[in-house]
Amino acid sequence: MYGWHLKILRVNLTTKKVTQEDVDPKIARDYLGGRGWAIHYLYKEMDPMADPLSPENILIFATGPLTATPAPTGNRYMVVTKSPLTGALAHSNSGGEFPTWMKRTGFDMFIFEGKSPEPVYLFVNEDQVEVRSAAHVWGKDTHETTDILKAETSQDARVACIGQAGENLALMAAIMNDKHRAAARSGVGAVMGSKNLKAVVAMGKKNPKLYDSAKMVSLSVNTSKNVGVDVKKGSNMRIYGTSYVPQVTNTLGILPTRNFLQGTFEHVNNIDGDALKNQYLIRHTPCYRCPLSCGRLTEVPDGKYKGKGEGPEYETISSLGTGCGVSDLAALLKANYLCNEYGMDTITTGMTIAAAMEMYEKGYISEEIIGMPLKFGDHDAMIEMIRKMAYREGFGNDLAQGSYRLAEKYGHPEIAVTTRKQEFPGYDPRGSQGMGLLYATSNKGASHMEGDVAYEEVFGVPVKENPLTTEGKPELVKHFEDSFALMDSSGLCVFVAIRYAFSKDRMILPERLAEMMNFSTGANYTPEEALKAAERVYNLERMFLLKAGSTEDTLPYRMLHEPLPDGPAKGKVVELDKMLPEFYKLRGWDEKGVPTKEKLMELGLPL
Amino acid sequence: MMIRVKLIANYREALPPEAKNGVVELDVPDGTTVYDAISRFDIPLNDESVIVLNGITVDMNTTLIEGDMVTAFSAIAGG
Repeated sequence: MYGWHLKILRVNLTTKKVTQEDVDPKIARDYLGGRGWAIHYLYKEMDPMADPLSPENILIFATGPLTATPAPTGNRYMVVTKSPLTGALAHSNSGGEFPTWMKRTGFDMFIFEGKSPEPVYLFVNEDQVEVRSAAHVWGKDTHETTDILKAETSQDARVACIGQAGENLALMAAIMNDKHRAAARSGVGAVMGSKNLKAVVAMGKKNPKLYDSAKMVSLSVNTSKNVGVDVKKGSNMRIYGTSYVPQVTNTLGILPTRNFLQGTFEHVNNIDGDALKNQYLIRHTPCYRCPLSCGRLTEVPDGKYKGKGEGPEYETISSLGTGCGVSDLAALLKANYLCNEYGMDTITTGMTIAAAMEMYEKGYISEEIIGMPLKFGDHDAMIEMIRKMAYREGFGNDLAQGSYRLAEKYGHPEIAVTTRKQEFPGYDPRGSQGMGLLYATSNKGASHMEGDVAYEEVFGVPVKENPLTTEGKPELVKHFEDSFALMDSSGLCVFVAIRYAFSKDRMILPERLAEMMNFSTGANYTPEEALKAAERVYNLERMFLLKAGSTEDTLPYRMLHEPLPDGPAKGKVVELDKMLPEFYKLRGWDEKGVPTKEKLMELGLPL
Repeated sequence: MMIRVKLIANYREALPPEAKNGVVELDVPDGTTVYDAISRFDIPLNDESVIVLNGITVDMNTTLIEGDMVTAFSAIAGG
């Protein structure tokens, strides 16, 4: 077989038993890889009602058929499990180098079951698979852990690990790889912590065999030229990454500001991409085989926020920055570095602190409970809250549960801006209606990575849609969700896939991804089959969600009942009821959002 | 009448030196359209650019009024 190894490494952490399994080639083809394979196994093997932090939960690391191939940005993996933050499905994506190294072990997927009685890490060097003690790195941050584990295994290995937040089961804990890259969302790091699994260390030389290596290489070279070498487009990402987006969303009035009380931030110039470029940028830092290179190394050289690391991305600026009303860029960078070191999702971390700030200012939570004043814009208090969250210390224990549980505990659930208990990313859906439908229906709770229609509503890729209208948005959301399921399953980064394959003709994306996957696997997908497989993945994820008991597709109070007070979207709320029925119809789901028997049969899914 | 043009990220290279935080003020004649204002700058005037008036998607032939802000950025973005 080509492209895929068709091999799974299964690790039972309770018994320390390690087994190798073959993957049925039909399952491999029908579910694509990565996110698709993972939901197939998760749905088959675990009770969706299981407690996410119990040994019954299953944690899956999954690469795709383009991971570790010459495909540009074929460097991604997905972490799939049941989320302790949402109680729904989690699938979090990351790049860097670890995913490629993981696939070079000769396995496409690692499945972790059970719970180790003591801290351990997994070391995999092809057929050498060892569950080793992690007692000496337990309690250490992700950077130190990475350095120590590479020193004792091999500098040729790559490390994915949790920090203190994951060990302490903070519900926004991420799994960090290569120190700075995060499978961030939905608390996947807490699941790893609940299993006493501190790290996964991978190395090997087993690159997947390619069905048509010459065509793959030629396609890769051409794509890289088109995507990355174009000076204007390429240099834009290399200098700014996503850090210039605050200027865009601020212009459109959808920049989350002070816990979504506003859509514009008066100090945006202090924390945008140009401020970063002029003060703290060192150089761009690409993921493996990436022609875009949006990652950036930054440094605050001295002072009380001294530190060095990668970022911030837009999502960090819109949560720890504008979300909290913070306009001090050095403090924002420090907060970003700390989240990476403790191993925390910056979106949920920032927006949970933002909710606490609003509750403090409104008098719903006292200074006595928090232990200090917590006003919007108080960057030093924000940094202290991050530390308390990671260690679940004092009020940090409340924060470590996320904004939904925090707001509910203190009697004001209307303050939490979440769906399925997960915090919104950086696009206020009152001024981007399609994003509203996406957040409401997403199987994993609010996430732009579920099907980022902001590409059309905000960025004009491939065409600019009016973000304030609802017409055509149900179809747009479905198209993006299925496209993202395809990209996530293939092992490509959406940044390149979108630039390479998004077109006014919506069949171009499945055409180009099918072509790439065929060069890799020889599976001979037609574009229609590739898209159908993505829809199969999306519907199976829906079935998992329904069986996990999280059914209502809605939005928080603020989005439906509190009009934006400022900016171009002033006066708007999300008109969800105008979009939801049409969306269900397009999906082949009933009026409650449940896939119909006909749809399940069409996709070959279990009834 | 006075209007403002704001360019974002690498498009700022097309701005004159007096621009501040990516914004330049222009004195333009009555009847100036979004297209007229933005075509003064060396940026792509096709699908590669997103151009909005006061943050709103409009026709490029829309006539400007005093105080309007035209913003442009490269469409190859995303966060």
